[in-house]
Amino acid sequence: MKNYSSKFKNVIPLLIIGFALFPAITFAAILYLDPSSGEYQPGDVFMVDIKIDTEEECINTVEANLSFSQDILKAVDFSPGNSILTLWVKIPTIDQESGLISFAGGIPGGFCGKLPGEPGEINLLGKIIFQTKEVSGEQISAELEFLESSQVLLNDGFGTPAKLTTRGAVFTILAEKLETPEDEWKEELEKDNIPPEPFKIEIHQTPEIFEGKYFIIFSTTDKQTGIDYYEIREGKGDWKIGQSPYLLENQELAEEIKVKAVDKAGNEKIETIGPIKKPFPYWIIVLILIGGVGYCLYRKLKIKYQKSK
Amino acid sequence: MMKNFKNYFLLILISIILEGLILTFYNVQAIAIEGTVNITATVEEPSPPPSGGGGWVPPPIATKVIIQGKAYPLISVTVLQDGKVATVTNADSQANFRVEITDITPGVWTFGVWAEDKKGVKSITFSFTTNIISGMTTTISGIFLPPTIEIDKTFLQRGEILNILGQTAPQSEVSIIVNSPEEIIKKTKAETDGTWFYGFDTTPLEEGSHTSRAKATSLEGLSSTFSQTLGFNVGKRMPEVIQKTDINGDEKVNLVDFSILLYNWGIPKNPAVDFNSDGKVDLRDFSIMLYYWTG
Repeated sequence: MKNYSSKFKNVIPLLIIGFALFPAITFAAILYLDPSSGEYQPGDVFMVDIKIDTEEECINTVEANLSFSQDILKAVDFSPGNSILTLWVKIPTIDQESGLISFAGGIPGGFCGKLPGEPGEINLLGKIIFQTKEVSGEQISAELEFLESSQVLLNDGFGTPAKLTTRGAVFTILAEKLETPEDEWKEELEKDNIPPEPFKIEIHQTPEIFEGKYFIIFSTTDKQTGIDYYEIREGKGDWKIGQSPYLLENQELAEEIKVKAVDKAGNEKIETIGPIKKPFPYWIIVLILIGGVGYCLYRKLKIKYQKSK
Repeated sequence: MMKNFKNYFLLILISIILEGLILTFYNVQAIAIEGTVNITATVEEPSPPPSGGGGWVPPPIATKVIIQGKAYPLISVTVLQDGKVATVTNADSQANFRVEITDITPGVWTFGVWAEDKKGVKSITFSFTTNIISGMTTTISGIFLPPTIEIDKTFLQRGEILNILGQTAPQSEVSIIVNSPEEIIKKTKAETDGTWFYGFDTTPLEEGSHTSRAKATSLEGLSSTFSQTLGFNVGKRMPEVIQKTDINGDEKVNLVDFSILLYNWGIPKNPAVDFNSDGKVDLRDFSIMLYYWTG
């Protein structure tokens, strides 16, 4: 009996260890890169997809911070084309000097992975376009990895962080050029002849922002190479680069407002709104003035004519 | 020594398997997409050429999306396309709805479906992402919107009855889940108009914060995802954790509220934008807004 008791004493801590080793609730997500490896020669331009595996959970927000070997790779661009992220709180930025790439965006209503029967890949967050630099000596490895500050939040109404696993990539850069350098990005840009999706411009005024002044909101996507930038034009003014929400210069709302969405390949989609309020009819004042001057002249001539009589 | 190590290893392995079985039994995967939704992509048959021959050119094959499923009887259903309202349709008396979106660019799109029940309570958005292929009709079927849910009190004493109610498809079976240290599951059946009600006896609950949510199974066997999670307190009052995400009070959570959130990013100028009241407007507030998004 004593023997059994001592054995039982040993069993309990082991069971506890076992339970602790298995995470109780595995609300996990995996951020990974595709391809995760490859061989390139100096001058090649290649694309790396940033993808997510939600492991059957629903997520709605992703912040990705990546570091890359900036002495071997040059980050040429970032393409949000066909990304599941449609709203961006941190637009993709590349810092070549520090070798950092970061972005944060979300999916209204959430993203829960593939449904049964789904025909294609639907887990793309964005594409990084790299160009390899000249390397001296032997072939060299370039790394691309997610930083610990990357995070994925669950679509649970509380913004709960998902348990995150990340998988980076390692690329081999050859020392010498064997053939003409490839440019995957150029091919992608040449294929894209479809403009960004149609969108609506809305004019709003709320005490919560811009001290209650009028502003416009707009948002669209481009399913091929992705939106590059927006330009706004009020009336006959110049096109100005801007983003939503955009504070209007003309608070009278008396001019037409145009927003141009431009994709990475240069295709444009222009939408128009307004003018909401009709401009003051200055021509009436001119007409009244002309009428007044005419009448005065008529009176003067009439008096002159009567006097001469 | 070696034998002991083997035994220890076996014990740890048994405990891992045991815990896995417990988690499976209690169905802990709380947020995962479940249900009976299915995607099919088909090529529509081109119409036959008219008799008499001649230089007939077949019309281009349209790229189309069909979204169909169940909501609540005789209510309007809103369909979102990449977060923007694409169309609004009506559900019939059996809660069925169907929408067709034509003229869509091929590519990856996220669609959302939400509805407002007959009392004006909104469902959460049921969202799915699919790759639309050029020249094909993509049909997303088997959608069953989660039930709407309301509770009559957010604070009550232990032993009081908490009335939990909402709407779903007619005569669906509704499972109500109350989370306390132990998960309590109760079932009820919806009326012919889809309304459902359950009087929950709070006697087994401990004092403190609890949550309730519901999901439904229709007569045809479609299963919904979980409804919104509602919090309530038993015995002691606790501050409300999540504030309303409709900042400008227009009954919608959309680009306007998103613009206000961006304007307040970091240290909020307006405390109403700090939804989780942690003193800053950050990614978590953005995530909370996306959960309640209506377009």
